[in-house]
Amino acid sequence: MARPSAAITQVRPRSGGWESLALVLATLAVITSVAGYVLLRPERVGPPTPLSWQVRSFDGLGAVDQAIHSALLPAGEEIIWDNNDTGGWVSLERAQELLLPPFYQDAFWKANGEVHWQLVLPGTHLTHKGAEDDATVADPTVSDVSKATLGQGATVYYGSAGHAPGQSAYLLIIGHAHAGVMWANQATIWVHRDPNAPYPAIVKPESLVGEGWRQVIPYDGASEIERVKGTQP
Amino acid sequence: MTVATKHRALWRRCIALLVLIPAIALAAPAFASAKKLRVGITLHPYYSFVANIVGDRAEVIALIPAEANPHNYQPQPDDITRAMNIDVLVVNGIGHDEWASQIIKAAGRTENLPIIQANATVALIPIGGDQEGVKVVNPHTFVSTTAAIQQVFEIARRLGELDPDNATAYRKNALAYAGRIRALRAGFMTRFAALDLSSFRCATTHAGYDYMMQEFGLFVSAVIEPRHGVAPTARQLANTIEAIKKANVKVLFAEKNFSLDLAKPIEAATGVKVFALSHITGDTYSADEFEVAMRENLETLAQAVEYTQQ
Repeated sequence: MARPSAAITQVRPRSGGWESLALVLATLAVITSVAGYVLLRPERVGPPTPLSWQVRSFDGLGAVDQAIHSALLPAGEEIIWDNNDTGGWVSLERAQELLLPPFYQDAFWKANGEVHWQLVLPGTHLTHKGAEDDATVADPTVSDVSKATLGQGATVYYGSAGHAPGQSAYLLIIGHAHAGVMWANQATIWVHRDPNAPYPAIVKPESLVGEGWRQVIPYDGASEIERVKGTQP
Repeated sequence: MTVATKHRALWRRCIALLVLIPAIALAAPAFASAKKLRVGITLHPYYSFVANIVGDRAEVIALIPAEANPHNYQPQPDDITRAMNIDVLVVNGIGHDEWASQIIKAAGRTENLPIIQANATVALIPIGGDQEGVKVVNPHTFVSTTAAIQQVFEIARRLGELDPDNATAYRKNALAYAGRIRALRAGFMTRFAALDLSSFRCATTHAGYDYMMQEFGLFVSAVIEPRHGVAPTARQLANTIEAIKKANVKVLFAEKNFSLDLAKPIEAATGVKVFALSHITGDTYSADEFEVAMRENLETLAQAVEYTQQ
């Protein structure tokens, strides 16, 4: 019986080893593709997370507050358009003529706590002064709150004394670009857990937050589209 | 011809050119502004909204046939042709018209067709009733008056950006249209003011009416469809019937122009009275369709509330 040879004969593949190289390259290609997809895929974002001093309209407000907030949004836009055209502000009396919710005193107003609305103009001591119809009588109870906005540059629709269960107090704050306030030509909406919360001393975010007001973050169609379709990084 | 005559002729041509070139240049923008914007829309309410905003200053083009059901629509070749010939498209964006993106893609307009998301600034609310503890966005913002007005404003604003020459007219028309919608609502508000709304409880087969209910301080206690356009399982239906009985619901709102297959067994099991509301879809597109449909909806809602007061 012949002894096996001690010498080892290495048999090289006939192809010259290209399969190993191809396998390595294919693995690298797969890893690169996956990494590329992960880095470049549309980013799916959740609904915006409110900061500690904010509240989301979609799931952070009760039904009544949600209804009033929904009405304040288009009202704010219409008020700003009107101001652009006329230079004045829609008074609460004018809002009645325009049938403008949530100020218009109809079944909606009644079902949503009969909120007492006041228009507080910047730099005035009398409510409604400078409003479009100027036909209102000065109300001593709002004279003080008007004083509070002196020089602050914001026009505010302040709603309080609603009596629906769980209802808030409301501020629709409209800033002027020329007045140098942070909300330039746009409306922001704030709520306070106490429906009888007094008018804030200063209508600026840090002061409002300090007095317990929370800014409402609308969960709007743009946010929903972003959530569903994602945004490109 | 003398040299002097030749020079005079040359000078005359030069002067004529100097006069004509600016005239032609000035005429070009006038021609451009005379071209009407072609505004595409996906759903019936948006035809009404855009038609009232633009008046005769732009053309409104429906992307799909009027009689098509947007809930399960499959794009057709004609839709693609229409998409190739519009300047801008108004969409709901959060439901009902997902097929629009397929049409836009097929038309090769993904990169160059401006899209107006009508709901971009509308504060969305969840579907009413118990959705198994989950808050689901209700996309039916167009079955309402307040959310409809917000969309009208958004569309007018965006159209004004795309067509600045007519921006003022669009805004003015939008405000006038909003005033008409509010007047329609106010008429029914007066009727509702005399009613006790606090005890009103209702269910709906389709989650389409939360925005409209919200405007009257009304809320939906139960929705039969577990998801938009999805029929309930036997178990889900049994749970809903139980919820209806528990909440003492007296009224069920079904869908006008849709099958009553879901409503009938619930009516039989619970004794609720069935009323039909419109999803604002129809056989023709028209400027007044939204107002007509909403008037009918508000009339139906008033009748339903009055029924529960008897």
